[in-house]
Order: sequence, then structure tokens, then C-alpha cells
Amino acid sequence: MHLAWGPEEEAFRAELVAFLDEHLPPEAHRFHDFAAAEDEAGDVIPQWARDWQATLFDHGWMVPGYPPELGGRNATPVQTLVYLEEMASRGIPRAVHFPGYAIVGPSLLEFGNDAQKQLVPAAIRGDTVWCIGMSEPNAGSDLAGLQTRAELDGDRFVVNGQKVWTSYAMHAQKCFCYVRTDPDAPKHKGISVLIIDMDTPGIDIRPLRHINGLAGFAEVFFTDVVVPRENLVGTLNDGWRITQGSLAHERGGLWVEGVARLEQGVRALVDLAHRVGVADDPTVRRRIAESYSKAASLRALGYKGFTSFAQGSSAPEHSYMKMATSEASKAVFELGMEIQGAYGPVVDPERGQEDGRWARGFMTSFAGTIAGGSAEIQRNIIAQRILGLPRG
Amino acid sequence: MDFALTPEQELLRDTARALLARECPTSLLRAHMDDPSVARPLWEHLREFCALGTGSAVDLCLFVEETGYVAAPGPFFATVALFAPLLDAIGSDLLEKVLAGEVTGTVAVAGPDGVWRANGDPAKTFVPEVARVEHVAVVDAGPVVTIVDTPPARLIETIDTTRRLFDVDTSSLRASPATPVDEGALTRVLERATVALAAEQVGTCRRLFDMSLAYAKERVQFDRPIGSFQAVQHKLADMALDLERAWAAVYYAAMTLDADDRERHRATHAAKATAGVAVRRIGKDSVQIHGGIGYTWEHDLHLFVRRAFASEAWLGNADWHHDRLAELIT
Repeated sequence: MHLAWGPEEEAFRAELVAFLDEHLPPEAHRFHDFAAAEDEAGDVIPQWARDWQATLFDHGWMVPGYPPELGGRNATPVQTLVYLEEMASRGIPRAVHFPGYAIVGPSLLEFGNDAQKQLVPAAIRGDTVWCIGMSEPNAGSDLAGLQTRAELDGDRFVVNGQKVWTSYAMHAQKCFCYVRTDPDAPKHKGISVLIIDMDTPGIDIRPLRHINGLAGFAEVFFTDVVVPRENLVGTLNDGWRITQGSLAHERGGLWVEGVARLEQGVRALVDLAHRVGVADDPTVRRRIAESYSKAASLRALGYKGFTSFAQGSSAPEHSYMKMATSEASKAVFELGMEIQGAYGPVVDPERGQEDGRWARGFMTSFAGTIAGGSAEIQRNIIAQRILGLPRG
Repeated sequence: MDFALTPEQELLRDTARALLARECPTSLLRAHMDDPSVARPLWEHLREFCALGTGSAVDLCLFVEETGYVAAPGPFFATVALFAPLLDAIGSDLLEKVLAGEVTGTVAVAGPDGVWRANGDPAKTFVPEVARVEHVAVVDAGPVVTIVDTPPARLIETIDTTRRLFDVDTSSLRASPATPVDEGALTRVLERATVALAAEQVGTCRRLFDMSLAYAKERVQFDRPIGSFQAVQHKLADMALDLERAWAAVYYAAMTLDADDRERHRATHAAKATAGVAVRRIGKDSVQIHGGIGYTWEHDLHLFVRRAFASEAWLGNADWHHDRLAELIT
């Protein structure tokens, strides 16, 4: 066991820092403020972010573990962790939309045919914006219950149904869409994945505001949407396997950004307590310290998981990280509101000194324990897959 | 940050695990309630590991995590995690014999308030295993250290019978020669002991967790194992998370001690506090998952519940360490 990285990793970090010093756009600095990202209308993709993602790609810093043609530099797992650490500690986003580089790219590389693999560089560079058609009104946690129907008719599919909570749908050129192709098979076995162009006739996108009031995800309705058969990803009726797609070589470091954000939140709580004049209150002090030790223990647990990951063993720690960081983040915003007493929920810019950032962040933080597998589903996974408890 | 164990560390852990499983069954813990001298044969084995008293904090933690798993009684922790490092800090000649396992000792610091901080009060409290060691190192205001033999002591009864804590009256020792100890060095000794105790707590929590998980898989109600119920599954998932994060916080802290890293003060408080949070959840929910059988004296669960909560309170509970942490971060 040792604390520090070796000289090779630090040289890699220095290379990254030199790149950032030269190319980082000033807008990306906004993310130094831990609440800023929470304030963003998550699905809006500003021009600076498009340019930044392309710059990262062109210099091999978008997905360092990939080869140069995919926006990387063949980095090792430890180098990738160093990259994620450095970006997160500086609060620098790689991109403001994740589906393309984090889900679609890796999934197409693993399951796509040669033509589909050609779509990957643009997905990672952000030239093509993707949305993911997964959740439906009756398929949330029970994703395999999805009902959007795709009927094979010769060399084309005809798609009918509805997706919901679809992030970036209003901006996306393409949808990585999970559809039911065999309604008679057991529910996990009749699912396929189609690539659907969002400008295909019959697609109706209706924006859905988030709980925080900002424009966000969307409902997407499909009415007799025609999709060429060649847009099928992988094998017909075998799409469930593709649901687990993510950057496999980054899995050891997926926790880094969440933990860094949490730590920024704890530091912001300390500053807030001083501004509000309650930094001497023993209860406030103890509760901030509790947040601190939560964040610190999660960082340690993340590194422990990375150690197993780098050794090639399965790293159950990562199943804990999403659940724990999202719950802890919610608690940090909640404490930030409580510290302000009567002013906690104030978002009126003329009243309250915090510009409503804690209250808005609190509302946004509800997403963390729901999206991408709710905290309850995470607990089921921990209980059944890690602890070996029988299914209920 | 690399949490990988070296082959030597894996060997140390496996050796401790096998030895303690064999030499410290729960029957020993029960016999120890009435007659603490039954822990003597266990000490004969553990004395071979007294060299852990100085050197790597990670190695010490790996070993005492396993003593915590079996709630080992006797003078090992007091001698290795407290007495030896303090002797090292004052450059005592006695250290060599302690590291060789030939001499036992304990340390008295806390006054009547129970806080482990150098003070001038002659009434020392919560001193471990006074009746089973040869020497007591008394830390007084200054700070200074006086090493004495068999001072007047009184057992403090707690819910835990596996670790015996004593009041020690040092009022008659004023005339003894005292050795000054550097304040920073004393802090290091206490931080090392605190992280080691947190490691021990992690071991005890792991025992409680293992027992609860096994029980949830075998206990059948409503025609199915209770571990198939989501209410029980979610309890166990939360217990597992608290255990994992406590483990990670403890070994991170041990690494900062070994590296003399500037994070070590914060990491120590966070480790003991996180271990305490784990005790509070796992200690309670382990009994809850066992239900009625867990409430009985015959079942062994309570032996570890008692040890866990007593360890939580000793050398500063989670609240106390969070309050110290607050001083360092605000």
C-alpha cells in the first residue's frame, strides 16, 4: 500500500496540465464552483463545449485509454485514473453531453458492424449528438419491460411507441434506441437496439422540464417510424446484453468526478457557514465534519476499488460508489439549505446572499439517486450480485 | 493511491486469521468473563507478533483487524498499539524487550473526562488491561511519561467483557522520575493507536456482518430465506457499504501515518469516526437481522456487539472525532 503515484504517472499528469494550460477555454472554469453544473440546463450544449470536446479529441485527451483515432493516446488504467483525477479536481468537464462518448461509442465498438463502427469517432468527438432511448412510462427500473415495438418488415423496421426521460433528445441527431422485436419471448429476450435518425418522419419530441424548472429531457413519440434493417446493432432480439455498455477501461475511475464534486461541496459548506455566521455552532460544525468524513471515506473506497480493477479482478466497490456519492451529495445540498435557516429555500436574487444555488442544487440533486439505476436498484444489485442473497 | 497488499502483508493477514480462528474461539471469550487469566495461552501465541509495535502502521492494522474479528482478550493491543510506540517516542531501553514479546505494558492518559489528551489529573481512566500487564506508562501534563509497575487500579465494568479497562490512581507516583515526551511525538503515538483501534473495530464489524449475512441466507420464514426479502437485503447492503468505507478510511489513514503525510491528522479522525459510524449501524442491525435468537445470551452475537460499541466509545467516539475534524477543516 502506498499513497503517491510513481514518476511515470506524474509525468503523464504534467503533460495533461501543460495541455490544459494552453487550451482550456475560460468557460470551463465555471465548473470550479461545485454548484454551477447543477445550475446548468443540463441538455443545452453551448458552442464552447462543442469546441472543447473536439479539441480534447484532436489532442488525444478525450478518452485517453483509446487509440489516437478515437480521441485517445493508449493510456494505461492508472494513467486514465490520473487523467480523471486531474480533470475532476479542477472541475473541468470533458463534455456536457455524455451519451455519445460514454455509452454509444463503446457499445458500437463492441457490438456494431463495420459501418456502425464508422460512427464512433464523431460520437466521441461530439460532432454527432446522441440520445439514448431506454426508459419508457412503464419501463423505469424495470427496463426490460419496455414496450416500444419494432416490427421487421422486409429490409426495414417499423417503430411505434414512446420513450421518456430522454436526455438531449431535442439536440440529438441520432438515437440509440431499445425496442421490442419479439413480443412473445420472455421480456429480456425480445429486445433489440436500433440506430434511429432523429429527423426521420414520425418522431415527435416534446420537451419535459426537470424538477428544478429548467429545460431538460424529453418525451419521444414514435409513430410508424421507418428504420433500415442495417441500423440494427448486434443480433436481433439480443439487445439486452448491450444495456451494460460504458467505457469499460474507465470503469475503475467512474467515481472520481462524483467524489470530487462532493468534496467541493463540503468545502463550500465551510465557506457558507462562515458567511452565514454559524461557523462556531457546534451542531453545524459536527454535521459538516460528518460530510467531510463521508467524502473522504468514499475517496478511499474508490481507490481501493481501482486497485482491484487495475489488478483485473472484479471491483464490487464501484457498485457502492454511485449509490453512496449520490446520497451524500443530496445531503450536502440539504445541509447547505439548513445552514441558511429561513433563507434556505430562497432563490430570489434580491434576497439571500447565496443566489439560490443551494436550493436549486438540492432540487437537481434528486436526479442522482434515481437516474441510471435508482439507489434501491443499486442496493438490490449489491445484495444479490455481491452478497449472494437470493432473489425475492 | 494503491491499496494492493504485498505478498508479505497477505501472509501476515492470513497467518493472523488462521491463528486467531484456532486460538480464540468464542468459548474463550465466555471463559474470560469469569477468569481473565484464561487469555494467557492466547498471549503466548500473540507475543510473537509484538514487533508490530513499531514500523508500518498498515501492517499493525492488518493484524489487529483480525484480533478485532475474534474480539481477542488480553494485553496485545495495549502492549503493541499503545505501550511500544510510547516507549519508542521516549527512547526507552525497555522497548527492545517489548518488541521481542518478553514484556507487557499499557498506557494511561485520559483523566476523569475520558479524553485521551495529556493532563495533570492523577486519576487516570479507561486504561486497558492494567491487571494483565507488567508496566503502566503514565502520561502527565508537560507532557511527561512515568513508567510504573502495578499502581492501584479498579476495573471499570462496561458492556464489553473482552477488553478490560481500569481506573488508575497515580497520586502516589508524583515522586517517580518522569521523562519528557515531545508533543508531536505523543500525538503520533495516539494517532497510531487510534487508527489501530479503528482497524480493530472494522474487524469486529466484519465479524458481525459475516454472521448476519450467513444467518439471512439460512433462516427461513414464510417459506423462504429472510435474505430474499428486500427490507433485509437493503439493510445488509447498507451494512456492507459502511464496512467497506470504514476499511478504506482506516487503511488510507494508516498509509498517511506511514508516509508522515500532512493529511494524517484529518485522516486519523476520519478513520475512527467512519469506523464508529460502521459500528453504530452494523452493531444494531446485526441484532435486528438475527431477531429473537440474537437477543439471547447463548448466541455469540452479543459478544461482538459489546466489543464493537465499547471500542466505538474508547479513544474518542465518532462524535468526538468529528468535532476534532471540524477544528481542522473550518
